Amino acid sequence: MSFQACSDKQNFDQFDDLQITPLVASSLFSVEVTEPFINTIPAVNAFYSETFNFDAFTERFVAESLLEGTISYEIENTTSKPVTLVIEFLDAGGNALDAERFDIPAAPTALLTRDVAYGAGGKALDILINTTDLRVTGVNLGDNTSTSTETEPKISLKSAAEFLVQVK
Amino acid sequence: MKFYGILIFLFFSSVLMRSQNRQLLFDFDEIPQSLMVNPGADTYHKCHVGVPVISVFMVQGATSGVTVNDIFADDGVDINLKVRERMLDGMNSRDDFSITSQIEAFYVGFQGKNRPENYYSFGMYGETDIIVYWPEDLARLAFDGNGGPNIGRQFDLGDLNLRGEMTNVFHFGIRKKVKDNLTLGFRAKLYSNIFNFKSTNNQGTFLTTEGEDNILSNSITADMGLQTAGLNEIRDILRDDTDTTREDLTSLFTNRLLLGGNLGLGLDLGFTYELNEQTQISGSVLDLGFIYNSKDVLSYTLEGSAVNEGINVLLPEDINSIGEDRWQQLVDEIEAALPFEENEDNYIMLRPVKLYGSITHDWGEGASGTRRENCGCAINVRGGSSEQYYRNRVGGLLYMIKRPLGVQAALTGSYQRRFGRNFSVKTSYTIDKYSFSNVGLGLALNAGPVQFYILGDNLLSYQNIADSNYASLQFGFNILSWNDN
Repeated sequence: MSFQACSDKQNFDQFDDLQITPLVASSLFSVEVTEPFINTIPAVNAFYSETFNFDAFTERFVAESLLEGTISYEIENTTSKPVTLVIEFLDAGGNALDAERFDIPAAPTALLTRDVAYGAGGKALDILINTTDLRVTGVNLGDNTSTSTETEPKISLKSAAEFLVQVK
Repeated sequence: MKFYGILIFLFFSSVLMRSQNRQLLFDFDEIPQSLMVNPGADTYHKCHVGVPVISVFMVQGATSGVTVNDIFADDGVDINLKVRERMLDGMNSRDDFSITSQIEAFYVGFQGKNRPENYYSFGMYGETDIIVYWPEDLARLAFDGNGGPNIGRQFDLGDLNLRGEMTNVFHFGIRKKVKDNLTLGFRAKLYSNIFNFKSTNNQGTFLTTEGEDNILSNSITADMGLQTAGLNEIRDILRDDTDTTREDLTSLFTNRLLLGGNLGLGLDLGFTYELNEQTQISGSVLDLGFIYNSKDVLSYTLEGSAVNEGINVLLPEDINSIGEDRWQQLVDEIEAALPFEENEDNYIMLRPVKLYGSITHDWGEGASGTRRENCGCAINVRGGSSEQYYRNRVGGLLYMIKRPLGVQAALTGSYQRRFGRNFSVKTSYTIDKYSFSNVGLGLALNAGPVQFYILGDNLLSYQNIADSNYASLQFGFNILSWNDN
């Protein structure tokens, strides 16, 4: 559709080419477990395991317009024991679509960060779009008697996402 | 695409025209409609009848930001680049898009038989007035999001400001010459509103920063609202989309036009004072009034504050909540802290008050045949001659209107040339927030008892109307009886 008359030529079909693609950022979930609590659980057993509903990815706004994204993790271990953390992405049938595993040495250790890309050049977007639940598991690979000399020793897992979504 | 094209055209065509200032009509006393912008204006008529529906057709619109051409010129430049440079980076929250249109159903005026110093007029017209301010921060949030470089940026939710209405107005006015040099007038108005909406005085922020319990923290504080009246039933009819949609809409609009809508009252006041035979000052205040909305009211509020750092599990504190629906708990917490609610509470909507003030000076006596004797009636007579006796008039006009973000003002200089009683031309130059190059032209032409007039603004922009920040056009026909006829 064009418009002329005492006017330079206009082309309203350009509206079709307009793209609105905001970068949406939000935290996802965090888990923080103190060393005294870990010590109450027999070693080698999971000191924390929980599957919880997580509809953020299947929200229509995200699921239908997600172009690409990154999930960032930050893990800090100030306890006296090495631990393993696993985050599983589950579909509606309880099937694991993907997993992120973190093996963290005992303190002192540096802050562990990991950015996982989805979409172009990264993992499949379908993993996120079909994820309805997350299962987070923490396993103590050390003993359940030692105590760290750090102040308020704990294991902390943080996560956030930045998604590029196509609004138009 | 055609649908989008029409929408775009309608939206930006409104942008081609400007707000409610009617500077060409003010002090253009040959046109009876000048009484509508100053009920205390001079008039030379014994009576007038506006030709129904076409005595006034006026549409005005404005944008203080981009023009149609800025975005849709067929220039080969990527529209995404144009939108970013000219809208997102080029406009701010005080820029606005506005449109005003007016169609006069009928308008009649006559000189009092027993009180010739009075001139009575009454009529009905429909008016649409919409103004939308550019929601600077909300647009930035929509286009760029809160991630990446916008982490740490505070988005102002108060940038949402809009107001609109479609109203039918029944009016009755009296213009009275109280002294030889003073004329006063008022106009009472009864409003029957078809629909209106407003979202003003919003406050709030949205901010994404480094979190405490998680990597990021999204915090929002909002005190926002949108009030609507009359839109809900229209939406229902359109949504049902039955075979009778057109008839249903016609019936609804007709009913609301004829006092079936939300009602209100208003008042216009005006005066003309002659400093001497050739110089006069005049002024008016229009639409001192309100509409009381009690029918088909549906309003929305978003009030509260919330902070989101995602799902947070602390052990051992949360040991007993393992297995609970943490996602739903998070959603519920946010909704409780920041409820989005509807209500049907009655509300008052004030009309956009307008104020005019002018000074004019006349000179250049016309031919003796054009001189009118003092009839002692409603026409302004100065020392035995009517002001029409002077061929030339120069004037200055200040216009102000109350808008959601404050008062908007415009300053106009004008020159009017009369060629006898049957032809008059007026030109004007106006500066305001929309343009510094607004040259307008108006003319009134009488052929016997029939008058045709046309008033156009910002004529320089007509060489590329799509690149105009505003334009205004008004025209109409009247049947006149001159006072000495």
